[in-house]
Amino acid sequence: MPSVRQLRRRIRSVESTAKITKAMSMIAASKMRRTQEAALRGRPYDADMRGILADLAAQPAPDDEAYIHPLLRRRRIAKAEIILITPDRGLTGGLHSRINRAASEFILEQENAGIETSIIAVGRKGNDFIARSGHDIRAVFSDIGDQPSLDDIRPIVTIVNGDYTQERVDAVYMAYPDFVSTIVQKPVVQPLLPVVPAKLEPKDTVGYIYEPDPLTVMAALLPRFVDMLVYHAVLESIASEQSARMVAMRNATDNANVMVDDLTLEMNKARQESITSELLDIVGGAAAVET
Amino acid sequence: MATGTVTQVIGTVVDVEFPPDSMPAIYNALHTQIDDRRLVLEVEQHVGNNWVRCLALGETDGLKRGAQADDTGAPVTVPVGEPALGRLFNALGETLDKMEEVESEHNWPIHRKPPAFDEQSTTIDVLETGIKVFDLIAPFTRGGKVGAYGGAGVGKTVVIQELIRNIGAEHQGVSVFAGVGERSREGNDLWGEMKESGVLGSTVLVFGQMNEPPGIRARVGLTGLTMAEFFKEERGQDVLIFIDNIYRYILAGMEVSALLGRMPSAVGYQPTLGTEMGDLQERITSSGGGSITSFQAIYVPADDYTDPGIVTTFGHLDAVISLDRALSEQALYPAVDPLSSNSRILEPAIVGQEHYDAARGVQQVLQRYRDLQDIIAILGVEELSEEDRQIVARARKIQRFLTQPMFVAAQFTGQDGRYVPIRETVRGFTEILAGQHDDLPEQAFYMVGDIDEAREKGERMASEE
Repeated sequence: MPSVRQLRRRIRSVESTAKITKAMSMIAASKMRRTQEAALRGRPYDADMRGILADLAAQPAPDDEAYIHPLLRRRRIAKAEIILITPDRGLTGGLHSRINRAASEFILEQENAGIETSIIAVGRKGNDFIARSGHDIRAVFSDIGDQPSLDDIRPIVTIVNGDYTQERVDAVYMAYPDFVSTIVQKPVVQPLLPVVPAKLEPKDTVGYIYEPDPLTVMAALLPRFVDMLVYHAVLESIASEQSARMVAMRNATDNANVMVDDLTLEMNKARQESITSELLDIVGGAAAVET
Repeated sequence: MATGTVTQVIGTVVDVEFPPDSMPAIYNALHTQIDDRRLVLEVEQHVGNNWVRCLALGETDGLKRGAQADDTGAPVTVPVGEPALGRLFNALGETLDKMEEVESEHNWPIHRKPPAFDEQSTTIDVLETGIKVFDLIAPFTRGGKVGAYGGAGVGKTVVIQELIRNIGAEHQGVSVFAGVGERSREGNDLWGEMKESGVLGSTVLVFGQMNEPPGIRARVGLTGLTMAEFFKEERGQDVLIFIDNIYRYILAGMEVSALLGRMPSAVGYQPTLGTEMGDLQERITSSGGGSITSFQAIYVPADDYTDPGIVTTFGHLDAVISLDRALSEQALYPAVDPLSSNSRILEPAIVGQEHYDAARGVQQVLQRYRDLQDIIAILGVEELSEEDRQIVARARKIQRFLTQPMFVAAQFTGQDGRYVPIRETVRGFTEILAGQHDDLPEQAFYMVGDIDEAREKGERMASEE
């Protein structure tokens, strides 16, 4: 059995761990609120944008390859690019390993289908994982912060748009943790390019009048749409990260406290035991001397 | 011989007055009569006034002051040699198996001198047990002393009995089993099992179990040892002695110590603790052609390894098997803790570099796992780095691969035991450490023999899914 001193030292170390995890959980909780709002605020914009794109796609257009926007052009997939969005830092429970696992399963699927893959890592955890597993890395972005602006995202989009239009890759996917609720974050892998507008029957169109014409509007809207999708994914990832961290740190604090309780019990027992045995020795010794 | 008179009876300690000119020597046996039952007393002290203080080797119920006690002129002697083989004795050398009395041409006193230092032989020879965790972490020496430490109910007796089965059954020489203060039922079971497996003919069984008074429990170990010594010294044989449980020997000494008028020492132990243990342990050595290999189960009171009784025993041993409650709670049997078990001969020059590396590698991985356990408990396994997670996975596999089904526990586990040669044990652990079996689920390593069986089990589990 460990001595009282050893136990006391362990209790102190666990207590200070609990203090740190508690502080981290509180910081994450305050950041979580802001980042969740940011992620949720983007959703209506996303829905409307998709609606307009679908409407545009349903407009009559000349059936000529040259008129199809480069980001809409589909071709046989031989090379794919995956944007892997993860947190920069750990202590988020299983969040980054779940998203990394989902991404690596997806990569494996692609490679089994004979498709070459390269990865754009957004966030250090994803980068570490990809570097370790030896996949091809196209670019790395990190230190985006908790409140990124669209300008922080644009370099990512520039790379993928360039790669796609210059036909270096034939498809682009995004893997990121989708924020469902504070408790649940679901890793998703989503196609990004080519853009596939929702199918809309001509009779369901709203009947917007496009100035100067649908093709021009489409050409202006599409790059923004891609910007928005990536930006939105990053916001979801940040919201997920903060939520996961808050939950993980709260659990850690609880676990540490339980451990402190157990250790305290054990320490008290050890202390009492040593007192009892010392007493017995003294009493026994004294009695033996008397007789 | 002189005759004395009982002058005082304090429980199991009896004072006898003798004529001044014919005092019995220390350790002499006295015979007295209670109705028609004979009681043997052993002289422990001369207390003055022509009184000797004796330890009763039997019940003192019914003994009266004034009763006659005859000095036999010698310590308790027991029959030794071939006629004793296959028989069941008590501490006084009387048979318990309800067969005819043993008539042997050799009767030896149970108190004897240990061999001198220059008579002790020093060859080192590894003894294979067929139990993975012993062979790997704490290899046994032929002629050495092995102790199995453990608290109540962690499986010491099962381990000892498995050793009897594995070594005793394959061992060519003589074995002696001394049951000291353990459950009386076990003696019966062992007797039956040995008869069935046919090893009884080369075995002597000596019992002084928990139903006996302390005088008996303090002497039965010596009786067993005396029988083993005969085969070593007179016949030059390799003898195995199993003692279950050596701590009861200490405990019996403690029970009578205060009655004999000795002042209790630390934690209430007898002040002569070290001497008493030495008297027994020093006689378990190899000398003059023969050897005695001993296996001792050692009960650890309150799982406290710093207990003086335990510490005193530690020093005498060549190999220490430490049984851990935390492991038996996880049903990892035998519940041997590889981090606190060790052997004097676990060094490359004796067991070979590969074996040494495997054993140390296993300990390293398990130690790292133990260090990480706090982090896992607080933050969860997800927060570990990739390397640490691999270590945890391998450590858990190693923990499971250290388990083994036991022959003697087959009726409880419903699974036959396995005997694994050292070579296979070392190969298995070397392969796990090298990561050759990272693909198997950890459950595949649980309760199997060699590594091939683990692989087979893993593949069967995979195909069942």
